Amino acid sequence: MPENQMDERRWWTVLRLRLRTMFKRRRVDEELDTELRFHLEQQTQENIALGMSAAAARESALRRLGGVTQIQEQCRDMRRTNYLDDFLLDLRYAARTLAKSPGFGVVMILTLGLSIGANSAIFSVIDGVLLKRLPYPDQKRIVRIFYSHKDFPSFPMNPFDFRDIRSRNHSFEAIAAFSHRDLQLSGQGQPVRLSGFQVTSGYFSVLGIRPERGREFEEKDEQKGNGSVVILSDRIWRSEFAAAPDIIGRKVTLDNQPFIVLGVMPPGTAHPGNEYQPVAYGDTVDVWWPFTFDGNPARRGSHYVEGIGRLKPGVTPEQGQGELNTLMAQLTREYPEAHTGWSIFAVPLHREIVGSSQRMLLVLLGAVALVLLIACANAANLMLARAASRQREIAVRSALGAPRSRLIRQMLTESMFIALLGGGLGVALAAVCVKVLVSLLPAGFPRADAIHLNPAVFAFTFLVAIGTGLLFGIAPALQTSRSDPQLNLREGGRGATGSVRHHRLRSVLVATEVSLACVLLVGAGLMLRSFVNLLREDPGFQPEHVLTASLSLPQADYKTDDAASHFYDQLLRNLSSAPGVSAAGAGSDVPWTGYDDNAGFDIEGRQPGEDFHGRYHAASPDYFRALGMPLVRGRFFTEADKKDATPALIINEAMARRYWPGVDALGRRITFQTSPKEKDWMTIVGIVGDVKDQADSSHTEPAFWWPVVQQPFASPTTSIAVRAKGDASELAGVVRDEVHKLDPTLAVADVRLMDNIADASVSTPRFAFFLIGLFAGLAIVLAAIGIYGVISYSVTQRAHELGLRVALGAQRWDVLRLVLSEGMRLAMGGVVVGVICALALARAMRSLIYEVGAADPLTFSLVALLVVGVALLACYLPARRAMLADPVVALRSE
Amino acid sequence: MSKPSDLIQGTLDLLILKTLSLEPKHGWAIAKRIEQVSHDALQITQGALYPALHRLEQQGWIRAAWRTTETGREAKFYELTRAGRTQLARELEQWERLSSAVAHVIDMA
Repeated sequence: MPENQMDERRWWTVLRLRLRTMFKRRRVDEELDTELRFHLEQQTQENIALGMSAAAARESALRRLGGVTQIQEQCRDMRRTNYLDDFLLDLRYAARTLAKSPGFGVVMILTLGLSIGANSAIFSVIDGVLLKRLPYPDQKRIVRIFYSHKDFPSFPMNPFDFRDIRSRNHSFEAIAAFSHRDLQLSGQGQPVRLSGFQVTSGYFSVLGIRPERGREFEEKDEQKGNGSVVILSDRIWRSEFAAAPDIIGRKVTLDNQPFIVLGVMPPGTAHPGNEYQPVAYGDTVDVWWPFTFDGNPARRGSHYVEGIGRLKPGVTPEQGQGELNTLMAQLTREYPEAHTGWSIFAVPLHREIVGSSQRMLLVLLGAVALVLLIACANAANLMLARAASRQREIAVRSALGAPRSRLIRQMLTESMFIALLGGGLGVALAAVCVKVLVSLLPAGFPRADAIHLNPAVFAFTFLVAIGTGLLFGIAPALQTSRSDPQLNLREGGRGATGSVRHHRLRSVLVATEVSLACVLLVGAGLMLRSFVNLLREDPGFQPEHVLTASLSLPQADYKTDDAASHFYDQLLRNLSSAPGVSAAGAGSDVPWTGYDDNAGFDIEGRQPGEDFHGRYHAASPDYFRALGMPLVRGRFFTEADKKDATPALIINEAMARRYWPGVDALGRRITFQTSPKEKDWMTIVGIVGDVKDQADSSHTEPAFWWPVVQQPFASPTTSIAVRAKGDASELAGVVRDEVHKLDPTLAVADVRLMDNIADASVSTPRFAFFLIGLFAGLAIVLAAIGIYGVISYSVTQRAHELGLRVALGAQRWDVLRLVLSEGMRLAMGGVVVGVICALALARAMRSLIYEVGAADPLTFSLVALLVVGVALLACYLPARRAMLADPVVALRSE
Repeated sequence: MSKPSDLIQGTLDLLILKTLSLEPKHGWAIAKRIEQVSHDALQITQGALYPALHRLEQQGWIRAAWRTTETGREAKFYELTRAGRTQLARELEQWERLSSAVAHVIDMA
């Protein structure tokens, strides 16, 4: 027989034997008994044959064999199942001891469960957002492509450039561009606004998804005039078209224009959202239609399409980037004006989607891990306290011959048992917490739909629980098992020497807890401070009492700009005179909704080609009043700023400061034309206050507004802002009615209170603050439990000494001071170490805090005070007990 | 765990395997055989034999079966497996190498 076959057979035999030993334990034991008995009888008979008496023969046989029980035990050892036996025994013992002191058990399991649960919940968020793969095949090859400029680190592409890069590159299997553009579906009952994307051909190839029915767009679909086609999402196909099997080729009405349905995507088709404009995450896109554009290919200043590409297999992102750089250099040579100062870069899709949340999630994970460490220290502390009272039992067992390793194993089993119970509770808590967490997540948080409890989370929880059990069990187990049985037996369990060592370890543990809690509190404090700053800072407008909505006028019905202007004029006039309305305006957008359209321009009297740019918006006369943006100088737009009147412009202070520092910007003129005629010059008629670009930054980019009726490029959607005299939410119906009075086929979308928009835009810092605050709260409670535990134990231990002191004439206040000072020493030590650690760690939080130094003295001193205060409180109860104790009782109890 | 005897554990294994290479035997017979052949020079603590037997069985070198002895009693007989035979050869070789080395050193000294 060949060797390996023999080996294999041998392993089967071994396995069979092991299983037999494990599951037919009684049978195996009986056999061993019989075997040994047989041996004894044989030996006895031999001895009798040698002439011994029956009794002597048996005795001699027994002597030659040795201790039967020991042999049995050794044989069992050889069979390698003793560990399991011991384990089951230890487990039963652990359960029994736990049941005997339910208070201890409840505190342990609750604190561990809370902290393990918090870890599992945060881990499930991290797993869903950072670790889980994106729902696209071979997702590592997908990259987002951006332009970059010193003022705009990540910016959309120019469509002409995109077309050139698409035809010239060799690194990409497919490359596509897209742009968010909603469509209004009518002819199917109530008109609805569909969330839509205009995409070039190749978009779905980049993502690696094929239409479930029908086909993808081809390059010919990109040409204007080839007829409009559309691909539907599975959801819209089901909800609006009753999953009609003959949908392909059917004519549907979108924006009051006929579209032919080209395909239906499979369910769950996710659009790869991004950070630049946090659009759709998950299954939120309703329709895709071809991206079409025309114009003069020589003018490439306008950037408005998002690039995405799939690298060819074997091409690294760096190689792709290299080719993009080369192509960009070519384009810069061909069209120097449009490309000077711009570069191009590709970023892996996954990083683009989760990028900025990563930091926050890791900080949260760090915080929650700290909580778990504190809970471990706490649990170790409680274990030590209990071990102290079990010293005698352990001494007896060790005197009876239990080896130290066996004692350690038993105690570790116990701590594991507790930790696993805590882990079980933790999973239950996490199941609830994850739901709450997801509902608390800021709107548009990347990949929120991918967050679930799943096997990975369970595995994580299990490992954490095991690790926790080891961590908090090992120190007490080593410490307790080290004690000298003789000493402990003699001391009658009071254990003066052992307990000094115990006590020192416990003090260190508590000080550690205090310092970790300090770190968390400092983190929470910094976030609270920055959050307060955020709320207190003037946003630049007054979001209260403002209702916003958005409309998009179908081009088929509003063929000319005049028709559209007429509609908005009429609507705003009607709205302004509606009851409860104090001002109604229309514009390209409202603050903090992700609008970021920029344009470069020339300033009269300055060198053309110099870098002047700003974010452009459109505004009706009452737009600024409706939003509560203050006029700093000049005037708002008026009815007189008609389409043919002198082009007027309102700019913000940031733009005035940047381009006309120290001089008055009013009356200055700018233009978008390279060789402007007189009518191409726009005159600055007003300067308004700065509105922060984003709620969580204090920065404001230069921006300007032109009158809605004069806007050179009309925006596809128009935002309406209505300021209410009272409750703005009551105006929602008014706005809908007024719109439908003018045009019953229009969908009124995005009806929101400006308050809610403002609120949603601080939801990320609020979310982070809320969680860190929660963890810090948990931490300080755990630390307080720890301090209380150690001090009350110490008071019990010192009862005799304290009684003696009182009996000898010490004042009760002296006793109080004595006990309190012991607690304070712990707390102070912890605070000092904690503050030093917090100083080192706060830097990791810098991206999460706002307008607060990472070493903010106010936060640090308040935290130190708070911790010392809580420590005092935790010491006070045992101290009071010591103070009020009757010295006679204390002395007699000896 | 106490040491099985003065014999090094590995040596006891070797002796057992060697003893069983002739024919299947029960525990007592193995002990007897080792004592006899070594002219009682190797007095093994009989108790140490059983853990060793169980270990060798667990390792798959020997297998056990209940059989009737000549005197009509039920006893647990051990016999070498094929793997055990190979193992015996390996251990013998090792032993020879070791003892010749030791002998060599003693001769030289």
